[in-house]
Amino acid sequence: MAGTLTPQREAAEQSDADVLADPDRPWITVVWNDPINLMSYVTHVFMTVFGYAKPKAEKLMLDVHHRGRAVVSSGTRERMELDVSTLHGYGLWATLEQQT
Amino acid sequence: MRLEDVEVALLQSLLDELTAVLEAEADDDPVAQRLFPAAYPGDDAADREYRSLTQDTLRSERLERISACAADLAAGGDVELDDPDAGRRWIQVLNDLRLALGTRLGVTEDDPPVDPDDPDEQPRLVYYWLTAVQDSVVTGLMR
Repeated sequence: MAGTLTPQREAAEQSDADVLADPDRPWITVVWNDPINLMSYVTHVFMTVFGYAKPKAEKLMLDVHHRGRAVVSSGTRERMELDVSTLHGYGLWATLEQQT
Repeated sequence: MRLEDVEVALLQSLLDELTAVLEAEADDDPVAQRLFPAAYPGDDAADREYRSLTQDTLRSERLERISACAADLAAGGDVELDDPDAGRRWIQVLNDLRLALGTRLGVTEDDPPVDPDDPDEQPRLVYYWLTAVQDSVVTGLMR
């Protein structure tokens, strides 16, 4: 999952100490697996909300399905709150957290 | 989307039930908790602030979509989904109906098959019918 977004790859290269000391490290939007949302619907939502091409949307959907969660976007806290509320409007189980 | 009269009536009653749940604003209702999940599961203060900024808007948007879908149904069982707004609101409303019913039923990913002749299983059959309708609408939109 972390390999799908460039900022995460960059963050992953930092040491833990650097990350903890950095108040500007990005926030991420996480979508969690649930037994109700359909695979087709989740893929469609990722394409509609984020403008992702179908292969990327399907990969993220499968990450959610098989691994239990996937990081679907990253950026400022305000931007991630907007993404989370949009996903909540679509009924997805989304949360945000600061990148560790 | 072409619906039989009995399906229109069923959807109308499900939309009425969902409207009642949303208007009750009962935050301890598992359906409400599923429709408005925590954005910050480990941080109550941040979650309260998020809810204060978003929940009323999300609720009123849900109610508006339900009203628009109910108006579509009032016009008959031939629901036009070519308009992007109509397609979007229908898949969102069908999803909210499935989240509500699925939460009440406690569905899991490994539920056993339903016996269609068992009267106790009718709610589950309704749930699977909603699933089939939603999947067909979503697939149509992605084509």
